[in-house]
Amino acid sequence: MLHRLLVEPFALPFMHRALVEALLLGVLGGVVSVFVLLRRLAFVSDALTHTVFPGVVIGYLVAQTAGVVWGALALALLSAVLFTVVSAGGRVTEDATLAILLTGFFAIGVILVSRRATYTADLTSFLFGRILTVDRAEIVQTAAVGVLVAGALAALGKELLLRAFDPDAAAAMGYRVPLLDLALNVLVALVVVAAVKAVGTVLVIALLVVPAAAARLVTDRLPLLLAGSVLVGALGGWLGLVASWEASVHHGIRLASGASVVLALVALYLLALVAAALGRLGRRSPRPSTPDGRVRLSHVDSRAGLPGERA
Amino acid sequence: MFAHSYAQRALVEVVAVGALCGVVGVHVVLRRLSFFTMAMTHATFPGIVLGALLGLNLYLGAGLFGVLVVLAVAWLSSRPGAEQTSVVGVVLSGGFALGVALLSAQPGFTKDLSAYLVGSVLTVQEADLLVTAAVAAVVLAALAALRKELLLGAFDRAGLVALGYPARLLDVALLLLIEATVVTSVPAVGTILSVALIVAQAATARLWCERVGTMTAAAVGVGVGSGVLGLAISEQARVSAGATIVVVASVAFALSWLLAPRHGLAWRFRPGRAVA
Repeated sequence: MLHRLLVEPFALPFMHRALVEALLLGVLGGVVSVFVLLRRLAFVSDALTHTVFPGVVIGYLVAQTAGVVWGALALALLSAVLFTVVSAGGRVTEDATLAILLTGFFAIGVILVSRRATYTADLTSFLFGRILTVDRAEIVQTAAVGVLVAGALAALGKELLLRAFDPDAAAAMGYRVPLLDLALNVLVALVVVAAVKAVGTVLVIALLVVPAAAARLVTDRLPLLLAGSVLVGALGGWLGLVASWEASVHHGIRLASGASVVLALVALYLLALVAAALGRLGRRSPRPSTPDGRVRLSHVDSRAGLPGERA
Repeated sequence: MFAHSYAQRALVEVVAVGALCGVVGVHVVLRRLSFFTMAMTHATFPGIVLGALLGLNLYLGAGLFGVLVVLAVAWLSSRPGAEQTSVVGVVLSGGFALGVALLSAQPGFTKDLSAYLVGSVLTVQEADLLVTAAVAAVVLAALAALRKELLLGAFDRAGLVALGYPARLLDVALLLLIEATVVTSVPAVGTILSVALIVAQAATARLWCERVGTMTAAAVGVGVGSGVLGLAISEQARVSAGATIVVVASVAFALSWLLAPRHGLAWRFRPGRAVA
């Protein structure tokens, strides 16, 4: 049984590489998704996965496959800046502006690509990626982004958390809140760029949203949230690949591997939902509400809304 | 221009969808439901696939599945520890992945998904037009009937509850109306265009208008205008019709964001303005 879960599916080199990539992205997504959850950046992540599309197209037109990452990177950084600017508020709320940037940028990419003959195949692979054909160079890229993001979070993590829990205090202490927001948007953008070519847009959104959301259901302590989120991300990647292999090889049902990773993540989310419900049933009395000196994540809920929501 | 019958059908569809989305979009923008709308376009995908597999009507499959998704979002958001943005994200990716998994189990997976994304407004049939018109009539009638309550809920939810209205029920009703609009427009115009038409024109109107009534009228006007203009440009330049309409709508918003009186960037930073 253990052999069938751990060894057999990953004996072939391409499955081996896919597993390494899925685990790398699972851990990376798990860490970053904690910040996505705290700052409610799910929509920003979704928007970034779409706004990089014209960059992918332009990069490909200019320098073929080698240009894709650079094009995506350029557009991702541009979008991160734009998102930070629009979040400063104004008459139209941030979510509407995000939706317009998302659809507008994506449509530009579609217009560019619609003049090509392989139009539909290009779009499909952008959406769903090809985790099974990921190569060594892409794994190295993902690992490099992972190191970069980990370094940035090690340096800025405290400030980013302060900004998430209490933006007014952060501003009062002299931190530039818009710069911190930009830094986090750039980190999310880097994850999107690292992952989008290998695994496609839909899987990236799932990796950036589901792990922390699942962990948050069962804990409100930050260290546990981070650990749980990383665990869910990595576990989802592995389970998804195993399920896809199992269905395809032993049961003759083709199951897209990217999609089954997402479904594995969502299944873990549902499991967390059940675990949380059982945990509440098991507790006779409600938790003591006296403060115990620990920062609870429930504290964030009233403070860290989008700028427009606080107004 | 618009000489062929397919182009005329496309024109009628774009005008009808533009008008419907304009009215619904006002509620979406006022209540900040853009992300939910985006999620609905993706999460109803399995409904379309299932409908196609079971030989059901696409609208019926997507519509029924969409009701499940709306109820799931409403229920999950109320769980302790869950927060609506992440619930919507989970539902979006999970729903879409389910659709892809279902589709990938079929032979010929590489089949055209681009139509689902950016739509194929040039291939709409008369049956699609009828469905659009029927849904538009129902949704617009419901919005007109509930107008007062929905607007009160958007601006002062506590007041709505205090007056004894069933606030949660009204929320779900609005989400279902948005879902109906999404489900109607996606097969014809695609997910991206559907979101753009719902959000962009209402947001543009918001920059110019102070009253909900004029905002609604302006949103319908902008939507119909960008639809017709985008269709005309795409016919001349031979590029994707749906994507061109989206770009026209986005440009209209960008120009308004820069130039609109009182709320545009140029106005806020005009020279000689006293510092508040």
